[in-house]
Amino acid sequence: MQLRRQPLSAPRPGDTRPAAQRLAVPLLLLLALQGAAASGEPEDSGWLQDAEPSSRLLSQAARAALHFFNFRAASPSALQVLANVLDGRAWVNQKKEYKFDLVFTTEFYRAEEGEKRLGTCSAQVFFRNDKPRPAVNVTCTQLIKKERRQEEDYQLYKLMKQLKSPLNAVRIPDSHGYIAPSLRPIWNLAFLGSSYVMWQKTTPFLHYFMSQISSVKQWKTNDDAIDFDYTVLLHEFSTQEIIPCRIHLVWYPGKPLKVKYHCQERQTPEEGSGTEEGSAVALTELSNF
Amino acid sequence: MSLPQTLYKHSLTQPLYDWHPWNMKWILFFGALIGSGICDQETFSGHQVFRINVRNEDEISKLNQLMNSDNLKLDLWKSPSTLGHPADVLVPSFSLREVKSFLEEHGLEYAVTVEDLQTVLDSEDRKLQRNVRQELSSNCFNYGAYHTLEAIHKEMDFIVKSYPRLVSAVKIGHSFENRLMYVLKFSTGKGRRRPAIWLNAGIHAREWIAPATAIWTARKIACDYGRDLVITSILKKMDIFLLPVANPDGYVYTHTHNRLWRKTRSVNPGSPCIGTDPNRNWNSHFGGAGTSRDPCSDMYHGPRPHSEVEVKLVADFIADHGNFKCFIDLHSYSQLVMYPYGYTTMRAGDADELDTVAQNAANAMASLSGTQYRVGSVGSAIYTSSGNSVDWAYDNGIKYAFIFELRDTGFYAFTLPADQIIPTAQETWLGLKTIMEHVQNSI
Repeated sequence: MQLRRQPLSAPRPGDTRPAAQRLAVPLLLLLALQGAAASGEPEDSGWLQDAEPSSRLLSQAARAALHFFNFRAASPSALQVLANVLDGRAWVNQKKEYKFDLVFTTEFYRAEEGEKRLGTCSAQVFFRNDKPRPAVNVTCTQLIKKERRQEEDYQLYKLMKQLKSPLNAVRIPDSHGYIAPSLRPIWNLAFLGSSYVMWQKTTPFLHYFMSQISSVKQWKTNDDAIDFDYTVLLHEFSTQEIIPCRIHLVWYPGKPLKVKYHCQERQTPEEGSGTEEGSAVALTELSNF
Repeated sequence: MSLPQTLYKHSLTQPLYDWHPWNMKWILFFGALIGSGICDQETFSGHQVFRINVRNEDEISKLNQLMNSDNLKLDLWKSPSTLGHPADVLVPSFSLREVKSFLEEHGLEYAVTVEDLQTVLDSEDRKLQRNVRQELSSNCFNYGAYHTLEAIHKEMDFIVKSYPRLVSAVKIGHSFENRLMYVLKFSTGKGRRRPAIWLNAGIHAREWIAPATAIWTARKIACDYGRDLVITSILKKMDIFLLPVANPDGYVYTHTHNRLWRKTRSVNPGSPCIGTDPNRNWNSHFGGAGTSRDPCSDMYHGPRPHSEVEVKLVADFIADHGNFKCFIDLHSYSQLVMYPYGYTTMRAGDADELDTVAQNAANAMASLSGTQYRVGSVGSAIYTSSGNSVDWAYDNGIKYAFIFELRDTGFYAFTLPADQIIPTAQETWLGLKTIMEHVQNSI
């Protein structure tokens, strides 16, 4: 169970800020012009700061940052989810690109209810028109020490090596929300892969949650690394659509995650960017990891 | 209180369940009540079960007289369906003397079949334990699990049968695929147009926690009437109508074919895609922002307002009744308590009051397990959605229109684990009571 508080003003009555989908030009008239701000100020001019960014929009940006963070950390035992946005500033420019400066808290993505440790992250998120994915700069406090995280990853890896290939049609979780303990490592790894995809696909108007692993095409562990080919169902919130995404990842503890994906998009006439095919990205070797 | 491990021992020689096949069901029913923690009984120390013989009409009416005394807090376990069959009544310790003197005074034959219910609950008969567990798992409805439509409807039948004075079945029609639209009516008074509250759930098929919460709530209302001050007071003044599965075709489809199906299952002529989003189909700013005119979309609003029979039946019922004061729609996920409008982010006239009520509801919900619900209008808190149920209700004179998005916030999303059903239902109940109490005070 996730706790979500909104200490940053929750949508108040009288909040005439339109939904994220409708942040059209007329709305810019309401925004105050902000000069060079303290930190993380936009380089080019034409950025207008949104005086009262909606908490929903800030949450979406924070999630995008977290998806990226989880992907980069490549640690299935240390996945984090959004707890609360503590502070957030938003800017938009004439090209209707968005920029965010955020501070938010996170929780561990764990099965056990006991530990409810909160981490803190600060992030800058930049949604550009020319690139499909947001540019993210994010740092988070360490919820667990690096050594322990590596150890837990390695334990998870050993468990995965012992798993027989779950190729029979398993849905994880099942319809009743149940994940068998032996299948937990698969779920965690799938979430890690999905984080990459969700980072890639998040826009100010579209944001995703992972719903269910609908099939496992391949689970290979004979070489050193885990080679995992699966289909996951992503839930896009603003259109309420379920997007099946085929993901192929290769993971070894301590190494960057390699991911390829292809999502089956439904044509959404209202959102221009909704027709992206999620073109297959080859290996993502990250040099400055 | 945890599930009782034993069955009740008869105070004479035979175990109670041997006496009459019906007894088992009632005892287990009571046991399940305790077990699922729905009724707020702390202890049964000193409580006794009386078996009362009713031999004629006169004795039946005397028994009814006894049962109707509110202060005695009697619980009828088994009603005398025909003459010659006795009634089993649970008598709390504080009412023993009065009940005995009443029975003796009116010449009603009785026997004390359970001398101390708590002792029986605490006793250690393993064979009975095994029997009970077996029976419970096979017969009794497990409120901590997700169920098929058939099972939910069966349990609704059972609630009607168990609380005949309070609950009645209102079958308002059939879905597109001809499934029952089954509503429970909770009413303590005569009159067909008492001020009323409508509780809606499961309009979106994949949001399983909503029907699960609704059926728990049905049992809770029935059970707590006469015990809980708030709900008893509400029901004295108002009727409650509860529709646990507002989209039965979709719900069945999530069991048989696609767990993540959302819409109805109506056919769209000329399109391979099935279904309309029933929460975009209401006759209020129909076809506006936040909907789609593509039948393949999960937000397809349908060919025209109320084109979906599931929506039309509810809307017509409420409109014909004409005296609904409150409409609450249960969904998942996101943990939100929201009020109109959805079609715009502009404030509704009553937004101030509704926001306060919603905030109070959210606070009440958080008080149980710390679950945080945010509050706001539909348009500002979640997204623009035209043609939704609460906009319609509000525009049709039902001021207290709310929509709940239940647990969670995206962790398990639609596939919320079953072990969260009862905690969710319990906290939601606090929110519902807050709203209903406010409504009651306003009329």
